[in-house]
Amino acid sequence: MDGRVSLRQVAMRFGDFTAIQPTSLEIESGEFFSFLGPSGCGKTTLLNMISGFLTPSEGSVTIGGSDMTRVPVNRRPTAMIFQNLALFPLMSVYQNIEFGLEVRGIDRQKRRQRADELLELVALTGSGDKPVAELSGGQKQRIAIARALAVEPRVLLLDEPLSALDLKLRQHMRIELKAIQRKTGITFIYITHDQGEALTMSDRVAVMSEGRIQQVADPMTLYRQPQTDFVASFVGENNRFPGRVMAVEGELVTLDAGLPAPLVGRSATPLEPGDPATLYIRPEQWRVGPADDRRLPLGGVIQSEHFEGAWLTLEVALDQGPTIRAQVPHMTPGADTGAPLVVGGACRLDYSPRQAVVLAGTLHEPASEEAVNVAAIA
Amino acid sequence: MWQQLRRRFGGPLAVAIVSLMGIWLIAMVLLPQWQMIDYSFHPSLLPAERGGVKDVWSLTNYATFFHNDIHLAIFFKTIWSSVLVTGLTLIVSYPLAYYLAKVATPGQAALCLLLLIIPFWINEILRTFAWYIIFAFKGPLNELLLALGLIDRPIRFLNGDTGVLVGMVYAYILFMVFPLYNAIESLDTNQIRAARDLGAGWGRTHRRIVIPHAKPGIATGCIMTFMLAAGSYAVPALLGSPGSRWFTQIIYNWFFEGGDWNQGAAYAFLLLVLCIVFVTVIMRVFKVGLGDIAK
Repeated sequence: MDGRVSLRQVAMRFGDFTAIQPTSLEIESGEFFSFLGPSGCGKTTLLNMISGFLTPSEGSVTIGGSDMTRVPVNRRPTAMIFQNLALFPLMSVYQNIEFGLEVRGIDRQKRRQRADELLELVALTGSGDKPVAELSGGQKQRIAIARALAVEPRVLLLDEPLSALDLKLRQHMRIELKAIQRKTGITFIYITHDQGEALTMSDRVAVMSEGRIQQVADPMTLYRQPQTDFVASFVGENNRFPGRVMAVEGELVTLDAGLPAPLVGRSATPLEPGDPATLYIRPEQWRVGPADDRRLPLGGVIQSEHFEGAWLTLEVALDQGPTIRAQVPHMTPGADTGAPLVVGGACRLDYSPRQAVVLAGTLHEPASEEAVNVAAIA
Repeated sequence: MWQQLRRRFGGPLAVAIVSLMGIWLIAMVLLPQWQMIDYSFHPSLLPAERGGVKDVWSLTNYATFFHNDIHLAIFFKTIWSSVLVTGLTLIVSYPLAYYLAKVATPGQAALCLLLLIIPFWINEILRTFAWYIIFAFKGPLNELLLALGLIDRPIRFLNGDTGVLVGMVYAYILFMVFPLYNAIESLDTNQIRAARDLGAGWGRTHRRIVIPHAKPGIATGCIMTFMLAAGSYAVPALLGSPGSRWFTQIIYNWFFEGGDWNQGAAYAFLLLVLCIVFVTVIMRVFKVGLGDIAK
């Protein structure tokens, strides 16, 4: 079954407002693909164009090699799982699952057989005759999945389906969704603003902002090599150091960010001395040591610390610089030197330049509020 | 309910509310109805004979009805025509209510509702007269159809039932549109989208998703429209012909032309029974309770 989805220069305009800038994208058959972005970034609009609820203003949508741009929603080989699930409350579980089969004129016996198979797949064997209202949140979730899979879609579209569940159930459903996707081999296209969901389940993630795809990559690459300021700030946390390039040596770029010591990081694109650039250091990349450890180049004062089990999160005001956030394994700080780190006390910091990312010309502030921009707080 | 009223309004006010309700129910509804029923089981007598030997309980007034073929025919014709009016009003109102509830933007819906309501600021008689003018033998509708070449001689719309049916559908459309609109509006739009997404065409989406959800609204609208149609006097009087007389006109005649209130009361009671039967049947058919309709 060919579940490839190709978007070619699709754009969506509502009056003067452009919800989606012209966008091209290839999603492979059998891929678990996520669109990640803050609310209003256009990810739902994009999903609606794939499902057929919206016809793009420009460009084309192809599913499994055939052009679907003008095909109405009920004739597309896609099925959707809605944010509120939208199970039919006046019908039983069986009737819900069999609805799509009934539409296709499949006879009663075959319908029931298929429904039972699906109930088994979602581990709800035997609850077919229950009214939908009697199911728990997690069970409703599974029935919604079964109902969508019943029509044997080439592509399953999921519009933040886990957002209504509590944390434990959500984490459990992530694993289950991924397992169902592997078992069925159907292309899953998942919409979320929750990066945890996107990163744990997806083969690839498209990060979106303001109607534009910022970067498409596998979760690891997205985290390690963000290509835009938005991605660097939105995916995970980052400490931002805007500055100017002082020297370039291969991939390594030395940056003047106004701190007593220059910062060094790695850039994927060529930069020239004098170019504006920003360096990003993730909280867990910091090494924090005692104040008398002169091998560590940066100094600062600890503002606060939060114990988070495996991690200790510190907020450190760098000398002549911004306040940064650092995460350190909570056993380490000062444990071996006998000079423990205390709030209000000084410390020294270092990081590994090969892990720090440098991006060109990003002097503007990040677009999202959700992005942790510690430099701006200071 | 008493407890609730007392908690919310305090003792004296609660007593006042309940007794006002009681007075209204007893004095305005139950007593007059009882009086009518009582009338219907007595012969029509001169004032002097009332309470005398001739003033006995009898079924004569009902027997009169069942022995009069013309009145029986008009009675059943009224039922049938009212069912027809109800059906037509439902067919006209459903797409409109669906459009208002699920398709139109809030601005469009508000404008549309306003345009629907404005004609109802005009007296029912005047509105009905408007149709009288439109349907006249030399009226604008015939002129238009002639000008378009759709007919080659004018049609007598007011001769048969056409005028009455159209007039009633127009007169009672709001009583159908509003309950339908309320019912459809409360349907989660994602239900419709889900049905479409699973492959259902528009017909099936309405049949399986929208209509089952709107059932209480459909029942309410049908009940109201039927009652108004069956009890209508002005529309058949103005737009009807001698061949399309309504049962209400017979009742009117007994009361005010025949001067036989007892006979009229029997006929009116029969109409009331008919309406109650209709309401019960509709509620059974749509499997809705009184509570659903009150919503």
